[in-house]
Amino acid sequence: MSSNKILNLCKLLNNVSLRKNEPIVSCIFSRNISTTTRKFDLMEFFDDQKNWGANDVKVGRAWKKDEMRLKSNVDLHKLWYVLLKERNMLLTMEQEANEQVQLFPSPERLDKVEESMENLEAVIRERNKAYHELETGETGERPGKHVTSRLGLRYYYKMSEHVVPKHMNTKWQQKYQFYKYDRDVEAFLLKYNEKLYLTKKRKQRRDFNHVIGLLKRFPGMDMEALKQQYPDVDIEKAKHSRKCRGHFEP
Amino acid sequence: MSTRWYPIYQKGGPQLRVFLPNFWMKLIKPPHEQPPNIVQFACSMEMTKYDIKNYLEKIYNVDVVHVRTRIGLGKTKRDPGLGYVVKADDTKYAYVTLPKDQEFKFPDLFPKVSTVEEDYEKTIKQTKDGFKDYLDKNKERPGMPGWFTV
Repeated sequence: MSSNKILNLCKLLNNVSLRKNEPIVSCIFSRNISTTTRKFDLMEFFDDQKNWGANDVKVGRAWKKDEMRLKSNVDLHKLWYVLLKERNMLLTMEQEANEQVQLFPSPERLDKVEESMENLEAVIRERNKAYHELETGETGERPGKHVTSRLGLRYYYKMSEHVVPKHMNTKWQQKYQFYKYDRDVEAFLLKYNEKLYLTKKRKQRRDFNHVIGLLKRFPGMDMEALKQQYPDVDIEKAKHSRKCRGHFEP
Repeated sequence: MSTRWYPIYQKGGPQLRVFLPNFWMKLIKPPHEQPPNIVQFACSMEMTKYDIKNYLEKIYNVDVVHVRTRIGLGKTKRDPGLGYVVKADDTKYAYVTLPKDQEFKFPDLFPKVSTVEEDYEKTIKQTKDGFKDYLDKNKERPGMPGWFTV
């Protein structure tokens, strides 16, 4: 391990070319280069031995998108496999802890790894999009469109390539049936939309009445915060409501 | 080799490559005794035998001789209140054979099981330390009521 570090330092010094006239800039706040030995083994599925049976494991935070935007594709590719191995390790440890009815220390590690992986994928996707737009003028994303299903409900249909053309592909035709006029579906939609409408209206009325109650109990409330929490409610109207007034003659 | 979407492969097309595989694998303790060179995994449902072999060889640098897989049925149970049936997810298990001369033994991950007395002592110690901290914090301000600072 230590010999590895020395080797790395030597490599670093080799890269820095020093000319005689230039003063050497000394850096006071320098960190040692930390390297870890690569190990390939089935033991990579397990945590460090010192963490076995520990109550908690101290770890840092997840990778942010902005940090990963600074990294090259090669670095991100390597980081992905580090994260993948870490997730496998955590899943293994969690499984074994559950089997033995023991504490799995710091389960938030799993969330952090998942978050890092999501961020990494988002960054890669950004780059992919930019590249495709530059080269082809398209995003290069999986194409899709909004369609109406057999029951008259809208959803996003992700398109994919098929070996058999659409008009010959009976399996695809059976699986993906889109809307065409149907009396029963029309009747269903009428009732369904009515239900949605009533739910919406009830929510509006409930919120309005709730705001009236709030105004009555807390007249000096922060109006901005109220407006932010109930954007659909007309607060001026609520203020002028009869229910909002106290029980006294003005 | 991933659960992501790829363009369809047709003869003569470019080889599909996976740059960011999102499969997971976890090494599990075999419930039944296995030969020393067989390791049991639970893995993503979408993985094939070839995927598992490649995954272990390329990412973990483990020599794989043979892979068998099976899909374990998730357990069903009745909801205690309303009586409807709840089913757990199915799991894919992989039995990976290492070369004859290699062997793997699942390590003992929880070597020390803490006793009740130890737990009790630990709690007492924590409480004492907490009280000491509290006293130290209020040393500079005599006469301040206890509820003043949390």
